[in-house]
Amino acid sequence: MAKYLLKRIGQSLFTLAIILTVVFIMVRQMPIDGYFDNIDKLDDAVIQATLQKMGLNDPLLVQLKNFFVNLFHGDLGTSARYSAGVPIADIVVRKAPISIKMGLLSMAVSLVLGIPLGAAMARSKNKFWDKFGTVFIVLVNAVPAAVYYIYIQSFGSTLFGVSMLFDEKNPVSWILPVFSMSLGNIAYYAMWLRRYMVDELNKDYVRLARAKGVDSRKITMRHVFRNAFVPMIQYIPTSLLYTVSGSIYIESLYSIPGMGGLLVDVISRQDNPMVQALVMIYSCIGIVGMLLGDLLMAVIDPRISLQKKEGAR
Amino acid sequence: MDQTPILSVQNLNIKFSLRGKQLHAIRDVSLDLYEGETLAIVGESGSGKSVLTKAFMGLNDLNGWIESGHIYYKGQDLAAFTTEKQWLTIRGGEIAMVLQDPMTSLNPLKTIGAQITEALKLHRQVTGPEAYRKMIEILNDVGIAHPEARAKQYPHEFSGGMRQRVVIAIAIACSPKILICDEPTTALDVTIQAQILHLIRDLVRKYNLTTVYITHDLGVVANVADRVAVMYAGDIVEIGSSREVFYDARHPYTWALLSSLPQLGAKGEALFSIKGTPPNLYAEIKGDAFAPRNPHALKIDFEERPPFFDVSPTHKARTWLLDPRAPHVEPPEILKRLKKAGALK
Repeated sequence: MAKYLLKRIGQSLFTLAIILTVVFIMVRQMPIDGYFDNIDKLDDAVIQATLQKMGLNDPLLVQLKNFFVNLFHGDLGTSARYSAGVPIADIVVRKAPISIKMGLLSMAVSLVLGIPLGAAMARSKNKFWDKFGTVFIVLVNAVPAAVYYIYIQSFGSTLFGVSMLFDEKNPVSWILPVFSMSLGNIAYYAMWLRRYMVDELNKDYVRLARAKGVDSRKITMRHVFRNAFVPMIQYIPTSLLYTVSGSIYIESLYSIPGMGGLLVDVISRQDNPMVQALVMIYSCIGIVGMLLGDLLMAVIDPRISLQKKEGAR
Repeated sequence: MDQTPILSVQNLNIKFSLRGKQLHAIRDVSLDLYEGETLAIVGESGSGKSVLTKAFMGLNDLNGWIESGHIYYKGQDLAAFTTEKQWLTIRGGEIAMVLQDPMTSLNPLKTIGAQITEALKLHRQVTGPEAYRKMIEILNDVGIAHPEARAKQYPHEFSGGMRQRVVIAIAIACSPKILICDEPTTALDVTIQAQILHLIRDLVRKYNLTTVYITHDLGVVANVADRVAVMYAGDIVEIGSSREVFYDARHPYTWALLSSLPQLGAKGEALFSIKGTPPNLYAEIKGDAFAPRNPHALKIDFEERPPFFDVSPTHKARTWLLDPRAPHVEPPEILKRLKKAGALK
């Protein structure tokens, strides 16, 4: 197990290094405008001096080395245009916690509602819960999210008498945005869990469990659920990524000062150092998510902790 | 052999609904299972062997139902059972099953010890250390070496033959009266097949079980069965002791089935095969279901379903050829080789 863990962490670091190098090189291809807040008003001498000072005139490999060295010391660089002169780490530390809090809450809500819904759907195939769930999933997927987000905001705020805008100090104002963010994931988890559980329910081991006299509720809980959950784990990296990156739409709808849309913002404003830093952070999270997924898979499924490769299931 | 039926099937009809059409899978089957015997049900794929035995445990898929008939077991009519709660009194504890494919019939995420213990806890009212001790004892019984270490392992750490031993261990752990083996050796390679058959035979003796084998392998039948029932198109066409069915078969379908044994072929001779295809069970069958493929078919075979004719007190066959008015038809020449080959144990 320890060996497997080390191997996977090593692989993750290697992947991360490749991503960083690629992003680094791509950002170097961007116009130098992205390093200045007001390039039009500066004369060439100043521009060149600044570039020199920032080390951007050094050979690419030297720059790459400096980038990794700075990174190692926890220095993500300084924002150039988005909020000029502010260390990127400060911006992220200011914005990330709220998105993470909302994201984790929404992930918890989605799991708590989506998984029982999916399980209930699988157990009552073609009966009430299955039909109810199917209608719900189709609605959530077919109606553009923007439409029901706005409905939830306007009706929800009148119904519960809460403010339409987010207020960090008032937990009641968290309910609507968290619920809106969860809807899509509830449908997603329910749909996939139902599908995997229905697959598992048709397998021979379920037949054997029935033949030995286990009742159907215990079969679902003890035998089917865990087997169906193994493939669900592959959705963990994406969920984690969404948790941190925040929902652009929800955050702007409720004026939440989170990470939502930050990457799009800095790209459109050509803030080169921030693009680089944010891409790095998101890739890190993605990679950690994948690592977590793999480890969780190894914990749940005894066949995976094996070192030697077995045939695909 | 004790002559009281432990389980008695009477005029059982089972239908399935598939894509809006009705399929008549079991057509008016009656069958007595005697205490302590080993009965083999043979027939080709789709003849209803599995459906029939699954009906004893309420394990048929939800799109199937018992149209009419009875399954009597210990004074209860299993055919009238409707709730899972009723079936739980039968499944495992009274009737247990060994499935065909050991590679898929164990839960991949649970240790085999846990899977056997689950059955023990359900049916033997044991818990904790006592359940563990019993589980080890059963693993020993089914011939798994180092049971203490093996119990902690997962199914993927076992070979096919070993997994089938575990499946058998689970069935035994339920302490059933009747053991249904649904093609227990089909998925195994030949050298392992014999071991598993011996194992089942030994366990059946040790635990005093009544056994039903479902198989299309007549070699298995010859090895293990006291009696043989031949099924065709959802109906039992011939039933008798192994000796009677092997050496004195009366139904043309049984003849054809036995003639298809590759062991009977001589070198250079083409292997025998039954011409045509089994009937469509969506349509109501008139007369003898085998008639269209039967070279000896009489006119009446196409019109009226033959009744069972008694050949001996233990042997009967559903064919008009046994009617006193029917012309005499000799069984195929090739079947004489069966006796010469000494097919039976």
